[in-house]
Amino acid sequence: MSEAKVGVKRPRGKARLIEGRCIACGGRCESACPVDAVEMSGSGEPEIVVAQCIGCVKCVKVCPAQALEVVFTEEEKRILEQLARESGADAEDGDPEARALAAKLAAYRGVWVFVEQTEGEPARVSWELMGKGRELADTLGVPLSAVVIGSHVEELCYHSFCYGADQAYLVDEPVFRHYRTEAYLKAVCRLIENYQPEIVLMGATGLGRDLAGAVATVVGTGLTADCTGLGIDDRRNLMQTRPAFGGNIMATIMCDKFRPQMATVRPHVMPLPERVEGKSGPVIRVASGVKEEEMLTKVLAVVSDRNRDHVDVAGAEFIVSGGRGMMGKENFVLLQELADELGGVVGASRSAVDAGWMPHERQVGQTGKTVRPKIYIACGISGAIQHLVGMQDSDLIIAINRDPDAPIFEVAHLGIVGDLFQVVPALTERLRSLKQKAPETAACSNG
Amino acid sequence: MSPNPQLFLLLLILSASAFVIGCYRRFSLVALGRPEDRLDAPGTRFARMLRLAFGQQRVLGKPFGMNHFVIFWSFIILAAANAEFVVSGVLPQAGLAALPAPLQHALLFLFDLVSLAALVCVLIAFARRLFFAEPSLSSDYVKARSPEALLILSLIAVLMLAYFGLHAARIMIGMEDPTAMPVSAAIAALMAAPLATDPTAVATWSWWLHALALLSFLAYLPQSKHMHILTAIPNCFFAGLERPNTQPREEFARGMRFGAGRVDEFTWKDLFDSFSCTECGRCQEACPAAATGKSLNPRSIIHALKTNLLANGSSLRAGETPTLPLLANASDTGPGEGSAGDDAIWACTTCGACMNACPVLIEHMPKIVKMRRHLVQMRASFPEELSAFFENVEARSNPWGIAPTERTKWHANLPVRPFEQGKTEYLLYVGCAGAFDARQKQVTVALATILDAAGVSWGTLGKEERCCGDSLRRLGNEFVFDRTARDNVKLLAERGVKKIVTQCPHCFTTLKNDYRQYGMELEVVHHSELLAGLLASGQLELKQRVAQFGTVLFHDSCYLGRHNDVYSAPRQVLATTTGASPAEFVRNAERSFCCGAGGGRMWQEEQEGERINLNRVKEALQQKPDTICVSCPYCLTMMEDGLKDLQGGAVRVKDLAEVVVEGLRA
Amino acid sequence: MLVVVCIKQVPDTTQVQIDPVTNTLVREGIPFIVNPYDTHALEEALRLKDRFGFRVAAISMGPPNAEATLKKALALGVDEAILLSDRAFGGADTLATSRVLSEAIDRLNRQEQVGIVICGKQTIDGDTAQVGPGIATRLGYTQLTLVDRVEKFDPFQGRITVRRKLEGRHETVEAPLPVLLTVVRELNRPRYPTVPMRLESEQATVQVWSNQELQLDQNGIGLKGSPTWVSRIFSPQREKGEIVGDGVADPAGAAHLLVDKLVSRDLLVV
Repeated sequence: MSEAKVGVKRPRGKARLIEGRCIACGGRCESACPVDAVEMSGSGEPEIVVAQCIGCVKCVKVCPAQALEVVFTEEEKRILEQLARESGADAEDGDPEARALAAKLAAYRGVWVFVEQTEGEPARVSWELMGKGRELADTLGVPLSAVVIGSHVEELCYHSFCYGADQAYLVDEPVFRHYRTEAYLKAVCRLIENYQPEIVLMGATGLGRDLAGAVATVVGTGLTADCTGLGIDDRRNLMQTRPAFGGNIMATIMCDKFRPQMATVRPHVMPLPERVEGKSGPVIRVASGVKEEEMLTKVLAVVSDRNRDHVDVAGAEFIVSGGRGMMGKENFVLLQELADELGGVVGASRSAVDAGWMPHERQVGQTGKTVRPKIYIACGISGAIQHLVGMQDSDLIIAINRDPDAPIFEVAHLGIVGDLFQVVPALTERLRSLKQKAPETAACSNG
Repeated sequence: MSPNPQLFLLLLILSASAFVIGCYRRFSLVALGRPEDRLDAPGTRFARMLRLAFGQQRVLGKPFGMNHFVIFWSFIILAAANAEFVVSGVLPQAGLAALPAPLQHALLFLFDLVSLAALVCVLIAFARRLFFAEPSLSSDYVKARSPEALLILSLIAVLMLAYFGLHAARIMIGMEDPTAMPVSAAIAALMAAPLATDPTAVATWSWWLHALALLSFLAYLPQSKHMHILTAIPNCFFAGLERPNTQPREEFARGMRFGAGRVDEFTWKDLFDSFSCTECGRCQEACPAAATGKSLNPRSIIHALKTNLLANGSSLRAGETPTLPLLANASDTGPGEGSAGDDAIWACTTCGACMNACPVLIEHMPKIVKMRRHLVQMRASFPEELSAFFENVEARSNPWGIAPTERTKWHANLPVRPFEQGKTEYLLYVGCAGAFDARQKQVTVALATILDAAGVSWGTLGKEERCCGDSLRRLGNEFVFDRTARDNVKLLAERGVKKIVTQCPHCFTTLKNDYRQYGMELEVVHHSELLAGLLASGQLELKQRVAQFGTVLFHDSCYLGRHNDVYSAPRQVLATTTGASPAEFVRNAERSFCCGAGGGRMWQEEQEGERINLNRVKEALQQKPDTICVSCPYCLTMMEDGLKDLQGGAVRVKDLAEVVVEGLRA
Repeated sequence: MLVVVCIKQVPDTTQVQIDPVTNTLVREGIPFIVNPYDTHALEEALRLKDRFGFRVAAISMGPPNAEATLKKALALGVDEAILLSDRAFGGADTLATSRVLSEAIDRLNRQEQVGIVICGKQTIDGDTAQVGPGIATRLGYTQLTLVDRVEKFDPFQGRITVRRKLEGRHETVEAPLPVLLTVVRELNRPRYPTVPMRLESEQATVQVWSNQELQLDQNGIGLKGSPTWVSRIFSPQREKGEIVGDGVADPAGAAHLLVDKLVSRDLLVV
């Protein structure tokens, strides 16, 4: 009965969902299944139609959360064991398809960093990326190139060398004076077509994400947005790590069958590399072929937020807010000074607005504005729920309050327990003195 | 006896016709309203009518109330005298003379004295309107010295004076017995000696004066606010039998209209209310919004309804669209007479003080909610702060839009206590504030600690608990409330919940009263009631008398007190716990003044006028308390905010449970 | 002219949590919502409808239950709602998604000329901000991202002027139609549905287009058409709140520490 039969069909098992692991990624398993044995429930989890499943493990392989497995019956396990004993280890045979792909990918070489600029002013994130790009290029053993596009921007190529680039591609024509998607798209695509990089990095800024999305579509490659981590795996592929689900999980994204691998990278995440003065390298000038008369869009105005009179709390990147602890209208001048140093605006809690210290349009909270600045500094705000719901999604929350038990400290990332009338002026003072030490970089702050 | 019965008859017919036509016009407008049953429990209704209309219970509660009481009863008694006057005017043979002498004597005596009393009271009323008028007597459209009010008072005074003139003259002529009418006799004596008037002429003039005053009054009555003479008594009969702590359900089907955006979208009773208003200003005085200088005046809402109905009546009857809008945006030019402004509609805290004050049982607040329903459901027009509230409750079932998974975080140090069917006695309905608001979470923990100390079996629904929907309903978002209520009623039934304890009067009233409309009949208690019971039965034993809170001043929550009649339970709890009855606000118990957050006001800005919570905290500070004790999360927030704004010093705000839990410390 | 709004049904990410014990995503009972940025896109389209009488079509790619999202759009006043749903569309990254959406828009364009396509700036589950540019590029429409104000719109001249919100600056740009806008929250305040409209939308039908209708190459859509794939997920390291220095005894010292911390972590640039 238990006699082993040579040539018995190898059991393939059935796929099964591991409870609690599914992240409802959008039905990758369903799409991967060749026999329609995966059906999606209302909550976006797969239900395996056992009768249909052929145990091909396609769904198991494609699941990003390792939420699927293949299970065997006792009988099948027994057969498997037997087969294993009889045949020993399977020999992995070389896959010709994989070899063809590897050859195609190998045609692409080099790491590129797009140098973002507005009216000749470089975005800081570009230099951050130059640091990371250097690291990736060194790992891969390829050159790091800067991509500089604009009008009268040759200087940026030399800055790029100082931050680590080996060479620079320069497209310098009047048509690129202002950023316009159609023009920049053509220029970048032409560069990629001609020079075939394996990695293209851009800052995850408004401009970078506008451009990257268009370029990836034309080139027909993968693009990963807003990365916070980059690395190279053992097959020379870029591992792109980024937050998803509102930052509740981190996901590592691969683009291993297409080139170039494109990513936009969140500003302020990668460290700024040390600038080494006097470095140089080859500047490769490329004509874009873009003609002004073919351009559909016109940029009518670029207005820096520093020059705008209108205070927009909802859209501000830095907010210094005051509450009842400000004790009076006149004290808000302290917050204004700090906000000015940060290039931000002053907000207020409901009680400060009710007290008439601040106008209603500055109010943050349930019945005021919902804000998501990069930094939110709450001064003398206890943190009533009405206020918290309006600012808790800020990237960084700093609380300054005398009461260490104030609920604001429960949501704050950083806090100072103390008298805001002493702490706030000291913050302003410190910022001012640091700026005086570094007057040059102070000019290009955002992005 | 009448100088000219034919002429009088003619005038009488004219006057009576004017009266009948006037009444018909108004009552037929009432019929434009939607149907509503107001005839159930006639016995209860009748008893209440006797107490409030004939007993003038609420009228007497205020200065000058006695004045009205006397005039009211004078009218009732003198109705007989005037009937006799009219009958004898047409048929001179009929009249009192036909009655036996002793009865006639007694009646004349009564009429004489009552007329004097009425005259005196009318003069006092005159003086009050001219010289001592309290501000609440005047509204935007009706002033204390309104010509209408003064005209009516004058007519009554003339009526009384003519009465005395006529009877004094008759005494002088010898037609009537002076002993039956001491007042008229005294006037007769005055007229005879010092004035030496011609009694026949006086009799004739007085008779006609009396006749004209009476007939004018009759003709004018339906046009004036004194219509209330006819409507107030039935209005007391028809008024809602239940406390106005819920709103009626709405049916949701395609092609229907929701709420009241036109005057004919109210019920007939709503319209009848508008003709019953006496313009006395009691609601205006009691209303927290009106008292703090906001656009809302409940009296003006009723006035707007009446004016709008009169203006649009004919077009509505003809099936045309009304010309005068019921709802107008107050922000530009003010709504204008006959319209209610948006600002006013949204200023209501639904505290019910207006309805509690109204002597003729007008239902102001439900009308406001009906108009809110129209604004929210038909026009999607509401203060912009509310869009966040509505969306948060709909998407995440709490007002702040916090993740429902955070609902269980209040019991940081306590084990999770799920409600188990058949095992757990009480469902502790934590409420959104109790689960999410850092301050109210402390109250939840205090209550849980007390329940454990008393050995009460309790559990929660954990993350599955949802918003009860109180603010949704009071704000007129009945559609979303309806879904919320259905879901909650289903959930509570599935879980086999029989008894619920809440720490929030708003959850309390919604679960207890509103959900009854959805067929849910559970025992719902507010924690003040449960604690009072536990202390009284000895199940909850305190280890010490709580003294650290000093003088404790108790603030009644509108939805616990006025809307649900729970007044004594929290006071008993405080008396047992602290050893002394709590101090009281000047405005306490059923006259308590709202904190300003009910009726969905919690989720809106308060930019007009004085802040309601400051008004209440100022009132609190008059009593020099050490602690203000509340029983509601909204009151807690509003009182604490008010104290901070007024720099209330060391005065603290504590929930009832936080006071009691101190008694458990050894 | 037809205005097309692209909307997406997303899980309410504020309710997504990581189970501290199993280190997996707790998704129990997490509701799906309309991507918040898309509600602003929808509002802008409806304002164009109110002003100029354009017809508005809402399209969404997703599983069959995403119909609920389109019903919400119908309750707000869109004229047509189309759900792009097919097993073959599943597992798509932004490249494959934009291919399906742009094909659907092209199909609509064949019925009635599309002048404007409006998308939210990004979705809250993916946060990529790539689908809008993807659609625009495929369709050859002018792409105007991060719009926080429509300054001028002249349907007769066929030109639009918008203001774009970028880091530290605003740009005013003019372009001829057709255009694709991606919009930010500051653009407008979305309306609230009236009850009659909600009731109507419950009865209204959402058209479902599968690949039968779109006839796209199977290799260009869904999982197969997606160059990127998720190789791993893990939970991020949570930053705990930190009290900096002793603000009571040494307020200036604490303030210095705080600023230096911000600068050293590159959170603040001086």
